Amino acid sequence: MIVRPSLQDHRIVATYSGRIIAGFGLLMAIPILTAAVFSEWAHLVRFAIGLLVCLAVGLGLQAAGGRSGGLRKRHALIVVSVSWLLATALGAIPFWLSGHFGSFLDCIFDVMSGLTTTGLYLLQDLDHIPNSLNMWRFVLTFVGGQGIVVLALTFLFRGTSGTFHLYAGEGKEERLLPNVVNTARIIWLVSLVWLVIGTTILVACALALGQEPVRAILHGLWVFMGAFSTGGFAPQSYNTFWYHSLLFEIVCVMIFFAGSLNFALHWLIWRGDRREILRNIETRSFALTLTVLVTVASFGLARSGVYPDQISLFRKVFYQLISGHTTTGFGTVASRALVTQWGPVAMLAIIGAMIIGASSCSTAGGIKGFRMGVITKAFLLNIKGLLGPESAALTMRYHHGRDRLIDDDTARLALMVTVTFLTMHALVTFVGVLNGYPLLEAMFEGVSAASNTGLSCGVISPAMPWVMKLILTGAMWLGRFEFFAAFAFVGWIWSVIIGR
Amino acid sequence: MRLTASIAHFRLRAESARLPARTGVYLCAMALLGLLLVPGVALAAPGSATPPTVSSARLIETPGFWDGKDITFTGEAIGEAMIRGDIAWLHLNDDPYAYRTIPEGSDTEGYNAGLAIVVPAHLAERIGAYGSYRVRGDLVTVSGVFRAADPAHGGDMLIQADALQIVAPGKIITEKVSPRDIRLLWLSAAAALMALFAFWRSRPE
Repeated sequence: MIVRPSLQDHRIVATYSGRIIAGFGLLMAIPILTAAVFSEWAHLVRFAIGLLVCLAVGLGLQAAGGRSGGLRKRHALIVVSVSWLLATALGAIPFWLSGHFGSFLDCIFDVMSGLTTTGLYLLQDLDHIPNSLNMWRFVLTFVGGQGIVVLALTFLFRGTSGTFHLYAGEGKEERLLPNVVNTARIIWLVSLVWLVIGTTILVACALALGQEPVRAILHGLWVFMGAFSTGGFAPQSYNTFWYHSLLFEIVCVMIFFAGSLNFALHWLIWRGDRREILRNIETRSFALTLTVLVTVASFGLARSGVYPDQISLFRKVFYQLISGHTTTGFGTVASRALVTQWGPVAMLAIIGAMIIGASSCSTAGGIKGFRMGVITKAFLLNIKGLLGPESAALTMRYHHGRDRLIDDDTARLALMVTVTFLTMHALVTFVGVLNGYPLLEAMFEGVSAASNTGLSCGVISPAMPWVMKLILTGAMWLGRFEFFAAFAFVGWIWSVIIGR
Repeated sequence: MRLTASIAHFRLRAESARLPARTGVYLCAMALLGLLLVPGVALAAPGSATPPTVSSARLIETPGFWDGKDITFTGEAIGEAMIRGDIAWLHLNDDPYAYRTIPEGSDTEGYNAGLAIVVPAHLAERIGAYGSYRVRGDLVTVSGVFRAADPAHGGDMLIQADALQIVAPGKIITEKVSPRDIRLLWLSAAAALMALFAFWRSRPE
């Protein structure tokens, strides 16, 4: 029997969601400040409207929730889902008022893309947008990388019971410290330290490349936010192709690779355990799959002879592949050039990289290196079992923070999430094909959205059918949450309708 | 217009070679067929006195065809010129916003589109305005060689230009606060105040 949630359950969800939404709305103070600094008054007013609406909704929900009871697991997953959906809708208000979007659905698409660190966009005339609007795009992607719930836990919650479920519901499960609020604060500490270091280096690079100081500072900050959150938004429509610099590309790769690492790994390295990066199953899995896929793409491009020299070929292939593998979405080739220059072999290699993704408990998306490693080891263990004597008790270890044994539960869960991801990729691809796009291009864009990557081969555009926009927005949301919170939300609505 | 010019050009060549009329018609038909198969092929006919004008969309769709050819490209100068020694990197956008931007009141007409240009640094100094939120940049025409993947610049797709001309100067753009936004601001402020009052009333003692 399905039990219908009680009024008290709804009030608990309203209280916590309201608090997160109010906190999310306060983030608009950053673009408001930017608009004030650059005298962009029309946009200052638009962001003020957005902030006030967020406060109205956030405080209104908390008022409706009143003195609610404790937060339980079933509430936490719903709070995460409701908060993200509301944040997406409300965060789209300044976008819609700006006049740079064809429809409100396009605005929703871009906010979801930012929050899920995907990096695809439908914003039009990007090269003429104000600094405040660009700042909002990067705030969305930077906060989304860490998680809006993690942000709320850092500043708005004080050790409330059930907060771990909020944290886990947003797709991060590892506790860096026993207390989940302190874990959230560590995640922000790591991110902010990287922000200062990474931005400083990028600003220095941008100045050396010939940008004016103010633009160099803004570009340095924004590219850092896009890179570390593995988001893929860039300040200009040319993405990181704008800079035409090997040095800039190397710095970007270092930053988005760091962003794709597990925050637990960051914390271990921070505390002096530098060997962990060489032993961890995620980094080993990443190194192996990246090497294989770069080789495959290089082979494909070398055969087609697009790049006349090996250095150019390796530079282009490595950058696009590691960008895809870390699910960042930065590119140094034009979107359509992936189809017209790169061809099917290289495109399939990028699709493979995007499907696998990077580390769990990071800003990255995809199936994740941990699951790939566990599934591979479980597979090898089964093969060994088939070949060895029947009486032998076989075990296999992997290292993830500490040495662990492969067990059935871990392997089953990893396989379940992997199969769900692959099913989603297939469905999104199918929708693309139904809408008249070639199979490979539909697959590339579908996988890019669902794995929260953001590379594009030119299918995604404001002229895309609204069904595609809606499906891809949903795929970004599902991919970011690895399904659980989203499924819980659907289950909650279902139980409201048919529960007793 | 480009199609008509191309046919006229081909007829002229046929006449100058004293070919029979039927052959001229046949060649025209072939030129039309070629135009359908490979966009822009007729404009790149060998022997053209001036390089053909090609859009970024065509260059990106058929990079192999245009690679190494002399072309002319027109677009709005965007962002800045990044001067590095003797050369400067430019970005020219040839989308509809190069003529009227969204902050100026243009309808949404799709993404920005353009191409990276490498020019001698002294030529870049001619550009007075670069496109941004407050500025519609100078409309610039460059001529040079299209490189689908230039080994000298890390495999980047670009135009190695040796001539640059300002077609139309840039323009300052001002965007005012709209009365609609002021009304929405008052409404949202009222809603936020009411919610704050309700929140304050619902808090425990």
